[in-house]
Amino acid sequence: TVTDSGSGEPLPGVSIVIKGTTTGTTTDFDGNYSINAQNGDILQFSYIAFKTKEIRVTGSELNVTLQEDTEQLDEVVVIGYGSVRKEDLTGAVNLVTSKDFNKGQVSSPQQLIQGKVAGVSIVNGGGAPGEGSNFLVRGIGSLNLNSNPLFVVDGVPLNDGGVGGSRNPLNLINPNDIEAISVLKDASATSIYGSRAANGVVLITTKKGKAGEFSFNLRTNTSVFEPVNQVDVLNPAQFRKLVRDTGNQDFIDRLGSASTDWQDLIYRTAFGSDHSLSAVGAAFGVPLRASLGYSDQDGILSGDNFNRVTASVNLTPRLLDDHLKFEINARVARTENTFADRGAIGSAVSFDPTKPVYDQNSPFYAFTDENGTDFGYYTWLNAAGTNQLNLAPTNPVAILDLIDDQATVDRFVGNLKADYQLHWVPGLTATVNGGYDLSKSEGGKIIPNNFPTAATGYDGRTEQYTQEAKNYLFDAYLNYKKEFGDHNLDVTGGYSYQRFEFDNFSNNVERILNADGSLNDEASLNETFIDKSRNVLLSYFGRLNYDFDGRYLLTATLRADASSKLNPDDRWGYFPSAALAWNIHNEDFLAEGPFDQLKLRVGYGEVGNVNGLGDYNFLTRYVISTPSAQYQFGDSFYRTYRPEPINEDLRWEVGNTLNAGIDFAVLESRISGSVNAYIKTTEDLIATTVVDPFTNFGNTISANIGDMENRGVEVELNLVPVRTQDLEWSINYNISVNDNEITRLPDTQEVGGISGGVGNTIQRHQVGAAPFSYYVYKQIYDANGKPIEGAYADLNDDGQINSEDRYLYKNPYADVLMGLSTNLTYKNWDFSAVSRASIGNYNYNNVASTTALNGVFSNDILRNIPADYLRTEFQQFTETNLLSDYFIENASFFRLDNITLGYTLAEGFFGNPLRFYASGQNLLVVTNYNGLDPEITGGIDNNFYPRPRVLTIGLDINF
Amino acid sequence: DLDQTPIDPDLFTEVDVYKNAQEAKGALAKLYAGLALTGQQGPAGQADISGVDEGFSQFSRMLFNLNELTTDHAVVGWGDPGLPNLHAMNWGAGNDFTTAMYFRLSQVVSFSNSFISNAAVLSDDAEVAAYIAEARFIRAYAYYNLMDLFANVPLVTEITTALPEQSNREEIFAFIESELQGIESDLKSPGSNEYGRVDQAAAWALLSRLYLNAEEFVGQNRYADVITNADKVINSSYSINTNDGNGNGSAYDELFLADNDTNGAQNEFLFVLTFDGINQQTFGGTTFLTHAPLGGDMDPVLFGVNGGWSGYRTTKGFVDQFDYAVTERDGNNHPVAWNDARAQFFTEGQNYEIETIANTFEDGYALAKFKNVDINGQQGSDTSGDFADIDLPLIRLAEVYLNYAEAVARGAGGDMAKATSLVNELRTRAGAPTITSADIDPDFVLAERSRELHWEGLRRTDLIRFNLFTTGSYLWPFKGGAQNGRAVESFRKIFPLPENVLLINTNLTQNEGY
Repeated sequence: TVTDSGSGEPLPGVSIVIKGTTTGTTTDFDGNYSINAQNGDILQFSYIAFKTKEIRVTGSELNVTLQEDTEQLDEVVVIGYGSVRKEDLTGAVNLVTSKDFNKGQVSSPQQLIQGKVAGVSIVNGGGAPGEGSNFLVRGIGSLNLNSNPLFVVDGVPLNDGGVGGSRNPLNLINPNDIEAISVLKDASATSIYGSRAANGVVLITTKKGKAGEFSFNLRTNTSVFEPVNQVDVLNPAQFRKLVRDTGNQDFIDRLGSASTDWQDLIYRTAFGSDHSLSAVGAAFGVPLRASLGYSDQDGILSGDNFNRVTASVNLTPRLLDDHLKFEINARVARTENTFADRGAIGSAVSFDPTKPVYDQNSPFYAFTDENGTDFGYYTWLNAAGTNQLNLAPTNPVAILDLIDDQATVDRFVGNLKADYQLHWVPGLTATVNGGYDLSKSEGGKIIPNNFPTAATGYDGRTEQYTQEAKNYLFDAYLNYKKEFGDHNLDVTGGYSYQRFEFDNFSNNVERILNADGSLNDEASLNETFIDKSRNVLLSYFGRLNYDFDGRYLLTATLRADASSKLNPDDRWGYFPSAALAWNIHNEDFLAEGPFDQLKLRVGYGEVGNVNGLGDYNFLTRYVISTPSAQYQFGDSFYRTYRPEPINEDLRWEVGNTLNAGIDFAVLESRISGSVNAYIKTTEDLIATTVVDPFTNFGNTISANIGDMENRGVEVELNLVPVRTQDLEWSINYNISVNDNEITRLPDTQEVGGISGGVGNTIQRHQVGAAPFSYYVYKQIYDANGKPIEGAYADLNDDGQINSEDRYLYKNPYADVLMGLSTNLTYKNWDFSAVSRASIGNYNYNNVASTTALNGVFSNDILRNIPADYLRTEFQQFTETNLLSDYFIENASFFRLDNITLGYTLAEGFFGNPLRFYASGQNLLVVTNYNGLDPEITGGIDNNFYPRPRVLTIGLDINF
Repeated sequence: DLDQTPIDPDLFTEVDVYKNAQEAKGALAKLYAGLALTGQQGPAGQADISGVDEGFSQFSRMLFNLNELTTDHAVVGWGDPGLPNLHAMNWGAGNDFTTAMYFRLSQVVSFSNSFISNAAVLSDDAEVAAYIAEARFIRAYAYYNLMDLFANVPLVTEITTALPEQSNREEIFAFIESELQGIESDLKSPGSNEYGRVDQAAAWALLSRLYLNAEEFVGQNRYADVITNADKVINSSYSINTNDGNGNGSAYDELFLADNDTNGAQNEFLFVLTFDGINQQTFGGTTFLTHAPLGGDMDPVLFGVNGGWSGYRTTKGFVDQFDYAVTERDGNNHPVAWNDARAQFFTEGQNYEIETIANTFEDGYALAKFKNVDINGQQGSDTSGDFADIDLPLIRLAEVYLNYAEAVARGAGGDMAKATSLVNELRTRAGAPTITSADIDPDFVLAERSRELHWEGLRRTDLIRFNLFTTGSYLWPFKGGAQNGRAVESFRKIFPLPENVLLINTNLTQNEGY
């Protein structure tokens, strides 16, 4: 009898095979079986979702218990152009399946695995609804090119970037449709994707249809988003006192009598809901899954809204005795975004708190009160009272009320894949896959004529744009699998063609109105921009998987890529990889040991990168000027032709990774984990570099100039401290350490533009330092630890403080990242918690750094300043203050991302399971950082959209 | 399929651009626009030069910063990296403004080289032959500035990717001289070209400027050649503007008004950068010259713009050039009114003395030279008040008059009576008292140049020619960073080659002292 180790119930349909033969049987309804076997034969018991067990026959009756496979060692992991059993993996690959996904309010796929994968950093861009994320695998891999991984959805690699008006390119996918996400981290795993895989590959597998009766799943939730904190600025009383104490009479006279908390006015508690319905079953014998999703979410910045409708269908028909399998995926999404103008965030920080929101004397109309009096938005007016003063901040409420900024983004991703197992050659499968990825956006911004500006006679402005990105894919490959005794061979070889097309159009109109209020087309300044490009990537690839007796595994791949972005001589890149693995637990000497799994892996691979590089850089081309950049000869204006900088020698940026790892599982897999160590060197980094300007048409070009190294260690541990029939408790912990250094760069590069002054930068790429290291003056402090204004260390000892005294200090990227999550189920209750920690990441607090007393008084305007002033009491805003290391702050943090509590009624809905849950997100942040939020992509903290706290209640119904 | 070519309607190939004279004119326009604008999108966007704020990278704005801000003519309160170092005369080899200027000028050379070689296929067309001569003029003008500012730059006359060798002032001087002489027959005769494009008079005028500084540049006395070339310009159809369109008593201020392409001022412009508030926008040029020195109690409406940037003022060193014309003094005995229309100081709420430069506007008199209004006081074409229409003369006839006068005063021959009358023509226009021949000596002409040509990008070169730029013989507030001024090292007469270019091109040796 075969029984379930957990429940003790008999298992029907377990397949039993004598190892090395084709002789087999299955258990009956009561779990019983019989088979003709010799003593000493090995029986393999396998059953879906249970661990396969091999037992040597020693008698006539063999009762077996199978364990539910929570670790799913036999899980099939999708890798490039194929899949393997997890046990046969040779590279550093993480698989997160739907049962381990983050729960609660999740509107984008990245959120599903945040904190779950060692070595992966996912930082969302802020608190806006549907916001995109910066996704890094093993640190920054490139200086100027795209550092995001390649996303592949059901075999279709997506475009690198998004289109205008889209908050997040992955918003096309309803997270509820995702079955599993694999993250391929090392080059031995990714190099089959060649040039697009330099920063890792994220493979998204969506849920598929299954044969059988239709079943339905409805998920619905409602969330409330609460602003948690604001920039700490002087309150009206503090502000009045400061102005009276330190300002001259001119400025004191400018104080108003109101008390306005501008930040309170721009933020709100927001609501959102998300619903999705899916159906799985067979229609006319064809397995099918279809889903519909609807999400509507307001942002906490007043007026912000994200609205998405998704639909997807998956069909998996099989023909010719299952020899011909089709997979058809199609998904569409329409996202409608209403963008609240983020200029209001900075403006609310600096707007004078003694001023009212509305003012009768303002010419910028807001409303008419019940007495018929017109009120306008309070504005700092020029002497004539007609316009906003030059350089004055704009009333934040007016910004949110008046600027209308909307976009509609449509996206379609679909593919048709056919696998044909050739009848006459057993083991040979031919696959063709055609895919199409289309993004299309249409949006615009309208600024009405009552918007406060300094421009005289302002009649408003409109901006409209459409953007289209298309990506065509055609793959064809052959796969051959063969066993020769203990030798298993799995060979894949194929061809891939991808074409990317971009077509952007925009039209901006500085409106001039006729006396009757209609648009004067002739006088209005109208500018149209068209931007189109196309590039092609052509590839051949091959992979050999060989294993001997399940013990020794070898994977070797080779990809050849040619990109039309590169000159014909350097166009082809060849990216090989090789990896070895040893499944020690399959060795006889460990057969009786504690290990369910013990595997050693080592791999090396190369990948290329030209993602994000412009097209045609190697051709001489001329760009024509826009109508506002013409040149006058005689009475006519001429649009000018400019030759563009060229680089005929651009080559592939090449990343090499050496990775070694151990995977293990003991005590019936109740303790499992893996350790990976890697060294990744990126050679011929493409970055913008200065050229001798007499030799080109510009002072900088994109060129292959440097090298960089990432080294790191990642550890993942999964524990199941308790597993009984009623109670299961699991813990997942991961930690990764990454160190990133530029190892070759002929000249330093100033990066990291900041606000304050014009054209200032705070970061630098330099040999021997981490990329994006801060480049600052060393602040000197008094005995009380307070910074002394204007006092900096003379680091080069030349007796003066100038730019030569700046030094490199810290960088925005964490040295150590950790994730800790836990799941607890007790009878019908489920509980999960996810938390993350980041250690050694530093931010530049640009909000505080522009804070000085003289910022309150300038150009006849009063401005509020952040309360940081009370710490520094800096009097003058100067460039050196702005670039002081005082403002580089340790932004290490611990964040409790998510807690979810659920209860399932087993027969709650007409005999079907019904689950209720409540979830809280962004519940707690522990940090010493003084700014609003320590988690800032790129490290420069300025006008950050605060992340709200989210409380969600939801319902899942199956029927 | 891997051979993709541009499909963007804004992108063109050589074949498109040099298809005919009409298209090639768009490439010629870029050579002029390279000096006037900053990129292919106005007012900013698709910048020509990267790594610097785009507005900063406009040629005449940088010329102002390197040749006027470094002198007694200007101070600035802004603290952008590298900017305060210019007046303090302690710039380094990585200075943003010297670096960007090197990039700008060498890029104009590259654009011109490309134009000259590509347009050759169309040179049978007489119009294109003139284009090519104009391109050679612009290249010579760029090299004149490279030689003046940086001295030891490579001389590159063709498009090549080979790292160039360093040249010196002798070689570049000879190149500019032979080019300006060589293009004479292909340039149009004076006054016969379209407005905005140069003719023979511009080449003669630039030669006169070159020869005037020949002693400093190459150690040769060429003052006689100044006279020869200045005479050619003076005898041409160009004339000093005497049309007092706004009736304020002087025709001087008309030179810097929004309609100076039509109000008569254009007759004085030998080489002009055109600007337009709608069709030709930049944050440099005259938009910069109008907004940046506007602040304090100055009324933006009178300047035809929507507000000031509260940056640049001037020092008493410049104010004192007008001592002879003071008609009124305030309680501190500081001058506040003059009978010379060129003393366009704004004194209300401003201090004659400078205590603080940084982050203030009050210290130092403000200057009201560039106004984006026409002769009727109407604001220029950009109704928002952001961008100016004023065209900016890079070489105008008054300079040639003063070149002539200085060469005569230096004893190079010529006609002293004529020199006196030329100077008096300028002074009369400004309502200043006339002078006699006895008044004219080189120092007088230098002061007259300051009065007439201030903020037009010539001051540093002039002071160097008189050995006053770095020495202690003439001090102005905060020269060398000291409130009362101090002498600085003589190597500062030449700016450093950009640090980052030296790293790439090892053929180059840094200028002495840096």
